[in-house]
Amino acid sequence: MEQMKADLNTGKKHKLRDIFVEGAIPASFIAESIAKHATRTDIGGHEIFLGQVRSDVIDDKSVEAIEYTAYREMANEQMTVIREEAFARWPQMTCLHVHHSQGVIKAGELCFMVFASAPHRQQAREAVAFVTDEVKKRLPIFGKEILSNATHVWKSNEPRDPGSWPG
Amino acid sequence: MKVLLFGIIAEKANAGELELEAESVSSLKHALEQQIKGLRELSYALAVDRVIVHNDQQLTGSEEIALLPPFAGG
Repeated sequence: MEQMKADLNTGKKHKLRDIFVEGAIPASFIAESIAKHATRTDIGGHEIFLGQVRSDVIDDKSVEAIEYTAYREMANEQMTVIREEAFARWPQMTCLHVHHSQGVIKAGELCFMVFASAPHRQQAREAVAFVTDEVKKRLPIFGKEILSNATHVWKSNEPRDPGSWPG
Repeated sequence: MKVLLFGIIAEKANAGELELEAESVSSLKHALEQQIKGLRELSYALAVDRVIVHNDQQLTGSEEIALLPPFAGG
């Protein structure tokens, strides 16, 4: 299902896209994404953020994988809003691609990609920093950190507050 | 109305969704906290039709409700 949303600030239309991919993001996918931009000769720079599953140590057990689940419809709607905000702030940005994994992603594998292209590096850089932060804050994505002893804890991007949130 | 559950809340309820009737967000929260053991102690947000609500509001019964534990994307 595709839905068009108007960007009030730029007049650009942003489709409701599905950012989720099943499993880890392969390095080859990133290479192909870069290659696809070769025809856009107005681009002068790409900026890419890649999120990788980190093997944190929690209570002497290491994180072996994160199982990501999401409220997919809301996450995709929120992403459309963030995309509109980014294009309003950096109107010269040529394109913006965001992908996030669902399912079990092992430590060391890639789970998140933010890729912006623009005529000049500054816009792409700033947009990627903004979009990365906003995705972490605003998208309903949940992460179960699977530990080496087969137990798990639930990950949170909020500052850890031992009084209100375990883990 | 359908109440979608995610993350640690789905785990505690042992279900991905529940069917409940309530006339307002506050009465729904009360019913959910009765039904899902440990929910009261958790940090969570409530979304009505995919938008997080911060205040009480009336519900007609046709809304899609979701309970959202802390986000962990990225």
